[in-house]
Amino acid sequence: MLQTRTRQFVASAREGTLSGFTVGLIIIFLILLGVPVNLTSIALPLFLLVALIFGVRLARRLREHGIGHLLGNALALGLAAALLVFLFMALINRWQERNIKVNDYFYSVSPQTMTVLSGVPASELFANPARDPLTGAYPEGKPLRTNPMRLTFDSETGLELVDINLVIGGFYGFLIVLILAGLLGVLLVWGFSVARLGDTWKRTRAYLATSPQAHSGLLLLPPVFFALLWLTVGHGTYRAATGTYSTINPIINLGGSAQEVQLLIGFAIILFGLVAVRAARPTDVGLSYRARLALCLGIIAVMIGLGLWRIIGSRTYFLATSKALGGSETISIVLTLAVGALLAVQNIVGLRTPGRFETQLAGTGAILAVLLMPLYLNQGQNDVMTIVGINVMLGLGLNIVVGYAGLLDLGYVAFFALGAYSYAFLSSNQMALGADGKPTGLKFAGNDEMVIKLAGWVPTTMIVTLVVAYLGIRIWRRRPPAVRRPWERQRPLVAYSGRPGGSMTALITVTAILLSALVASLFEGTGLYDRLFSKASPFLVGIIIGTIMSLLSGIALGIPVLRLRGDYLAIVTLGFGEIIRLLFTNLRDYTGGPQGVLEIPRPLPAGATGGVGYLSMVYLVLIGVGVIAFFSLRLKGSRTGRAWSAMKSDEAIAQSVGIHLVQSKLTAFAIGAAFAGIGGVLFAARQRNIYPNDFRLDVSIEVLSLVIIGGMGSVPGVIMGAIALIGVPEVLRQLETYRIMVFGALLVAMVILRPEGLLPAPVVQLRERARSLAQSHYRREGGEV
Amino acid sequence: MTDRSHARETQPVLQATGVTKRFGGLVAVGDLDLTIMPNQIASVIGPNGAGKTTFFNCISGFYTPEEGEMRFLGHPIQGLRPDQVTARGIARTYQNIHLFKGMTVLENVMVGVHPSLRSTPLGALLRLPLNNIEEDATLTHAYELLDFMGLADVSDVLATNLPYGSQRRLEIARALASDPHLLLLDEPAAGMNPQETEETMHFIRRLRDERDLTVLLIEHDMNVVMNISDQVTVLDYGRKISEGTPEYVQRDPLVIEAYLGTAADEVDVNLLAT
Repeated sequence: MLQTRTRQFVASAREGTLSGFTVGLIIIFLILLGVPVNLTSIALPLFLLVALIFGVRLARRLREHGIGHLLGNALALGLAAALLVFLFMALINRWQERNIKVNDYFYSVSPQTMTVLSGVPASELFANPARDPLTGAYPEGKPLRTNPMRLTFDSETGLELVDINLVIGGFYGFLIVLILAGLLGVLLVWGFSVARLGDTWKRTRAYLATSPQAHSGLLLLPPVFFALLWLTVGHGTYRAATGTYSTINPIINLGGSAQEVQLLIGFAIILFGLVAVRAARPTDVGLSYRARLALCLGIIAVMIGLGLWRIIGSRTYFLATSKALGGSETISIVLTLAVGALLAVQNIVGLRTPGRFETQLAGTGAILAVLLMPLYLNQGQNDVMTIVGINVMLGLGLNIVVGYAGLLDLGYVAFFALGAYSYAFLSSNQMALGADGKPTGLKFAGNDEMVIKLAGWVPTTMIVTLVVAYLGIRIWRRRPPAVRRPWERQRPLVAYSGRPGGSMTALITVTAILLSALVASLFEGTGLYDRLFSKASPFLVGIIIGTIMSLLSGIALGIPVLRLRGDYLAIVTLGFGEIIRLLFTNLRDYTGGPQGVLEIPRPLPAGATGGVGYLSMVYLVLIGVGVIAFFSLRLKGSRTGRAWSAMKSDEAIAQSVGIHLVQSKLTAFAIGAAFAGIGGVLFAARQRNIYPNDFRLDVSIEVLSLVIIGGMGSVPGVIMGAIALIGVPEVLRQLETYRIMVFGALLVAMVILRPEGLLPAPVVQLRERARSLAQSHYRREGGEV
Repeated sequence: MTDRSHARETQPVLQATGVTKRFGGLVAVGDLDLTIMPNQIASVIGPNGAGKTTFFNCISGFYTPEEGEMRFLGHPIQGLRPDQVTARGIARTYQNIHLFKGMTVLENVMVGVHPSLRSTPLGALLRLPLNNIEEDATLTHAYELLDFMGLADVSDVLATNLPYGSQRRLEIARALASDPHLLLLDEPAAGMNPQETEETMHFIRRLRDERDLTVLLIEHDMNVVMNISDQVTVLDYGRKISEGTPEYVQRDPLVIEAYLGTAADEVDVNLLAT
């Protein structure tokens, strides 16, 4: 009996020891990566987390052995882990004593690391105590070198404990904490199983998933988080009468970590905005129209009020003062009120449709919370939001190529670069220097001839093309209807007098191009553009030109890679990305070379005089993201979107179903590239100086990672992915070094645990709509339902 | 509609003359002549490796035959891309079901409508009138087809989650969505039990009668072939060895030899029909 018990105990302790060694190895790995130095405050909790996770795992496996065995195991786990780490550190220490420069081999194991791990000040570590100048002897009572683990190797006496250091971080502290973590893990599992908390948790989750109250709570989370943000921000009050400005402390004072916590709340607003809109169900929760309306309008009133308070009280304006538009405050107030009024009208109309209540409520709350959030964030935080927003644009563009059409594009950054450089060339005031250090005479246009010319050419050509196309189609329609030969083409599903055929289209296109160029050059010759557009905003011209340039380059890349699939496509596109970057680096005379393009102006309205720039940047990015997300969603449910989806699933079968592969692929490349181009223009406007090195392969990889982690083909997923991969690391700045490591780990984890992404695209539900359409179709046709 | 029926009465739907497809030295289809008249159900049978599916691939544009000519409603179709062939009115299904993963049943059929639509990405972005009308019409058309196939209740299920028999029917629905003149079915009854096979036969006849279609099918189930075909073509080693009504083919000694490898007089001819 006793023997079997002992054997059992040994067996289970062996499990604990093995787990402990694993924990120790992981901690050593983290030490070698330099975690203790770079993440001083997070390092210890991180180690403990590892021990805790393994403790829980262990306890789950050995649950039926009883609490005694579990505790023994936890002890073994902590001991083994600490012992391993300790041995490693002692080994390192030994080497250092022997003047082996471990830093050369283990880049991150510096004296600093030892200090952090052992809790011993750096001055005591590895410092040779001064010898007595007279006798040349070492001072008495002090070890030759203080061992970080408070252990001295002595060749004569062997191992000798010098003193016991209970500082957390010292060996004993470390040991105790690891054991405690193991015990905690064990007790957690044991406690859960004893108290049957697992069942309670399941019941709670079921309740949360089904209860209408909990559900409406979810819908209101974005405004709730916005309120939380509001509570953490200090408010200014400006008294116009006395001209004094005073500040009120925030209700929740976050102190030193306000910067990070507020950003996280900001991300939560966006995240829960997405979740709320998705969670909305087609129900009115039994409320009358008036009650529904009152609720939605109430939210609008309160939130717009908060926005106005911030604008007036703290003098936060999101547009620069402009001669044309008026003072900053007036513009900001008018715009805010306009947004409120628009949303109110939208709700008054939208709520009339039965079953739209939850969508309206969640949507209104989310939109307002996201739109007003930048007002309550400071410049640094808004800067992070801008970066996240630009990455969302890139992600949404790549999502079209990879997520919708299934074409793996690793050179996506090229289109981003083209957009950025297009704007840079148009707006920068910098004189590029040649190899000899003298100006090459190359002057980027800087709001003069080029911008004025383009500001005239773009609308002229657009208008002329539209007119020519319209007239062309009108004329084409007048001719007698052609006899449709059955073998020539399928009958269109919808009978219409539609687009002209191939040759006619070509004719109209050529005419449009020639005519528009002619008209534009005529206008230019008369000096009309110089008069009209002398104050043209380089940003507006830049965003149009940037989009067009990247769109065209998307098609240009698409043509050679049409026949490639999978790996080959990835390699060729990767090459394309590098080519573009190298061109920008090496064509010094045209691009400024590695020195980049400097002095790119911020986007400001015409005749801007005032100085608030950063908020306008955030709002531009927000608008850009909104438009691109909207377009992405519309494309997804369209004929083109379905063709992409089919192509992603199986190219050959898609083609035999009647999809023109060339057309579909080029459309995907072009639209994806155009979105990246818009992102690029905004990026250049934000950075104000761009260099070829801003557009390395890493960017492509990052964007691809965020698309995969967020959920391929899912618009909210991409936003979520950008927050997770770009936003959160910005908050935890110390993690910067580990970004790539975290990317890798996350990607692996996602592929294994949740291959469809964080917020995968929902399965399209069209049946109800299809049925009602079909029924009304039957009725129209006079058939029976 | 009128011009379409007119065209049909005057000429064969599909006329293949001397079609040859080689893979290296192997002649997969050799000098094949085949004529299908409108509103017929024609079958191509033959032992495994006889070149039936290769011939289908030649028609639907996956392969370009080295020699010979194929005319669809009097106009040559060899050398066209698969999407062009489909746009001209030939739709097909596959021996191993190929549905679009990640798309629902309804979406799969909506993809099938693609060649009959004209709206552009710009139209979708701006919700231009043509796009909206076409989207509604597509949805209606697809739903009606699913209703016809008895799949309307599972419209919103992912296509790959359907049971086998329903997947086959969905594939046919997708092929029908492009409103073809000629439907190529590659082993529609494969893997079905006798009752399902019976339903499939009934269904193929309904397609021909109600949808005004011409059907060309490959099938191994002789029961199906002999029961519903107006015309049977037998291939062996890529060459046509017999052609005619089911009754004629059943008694052709060459066919019996190809299938059973024995002299004609020793075999019970009814074996083929069971």
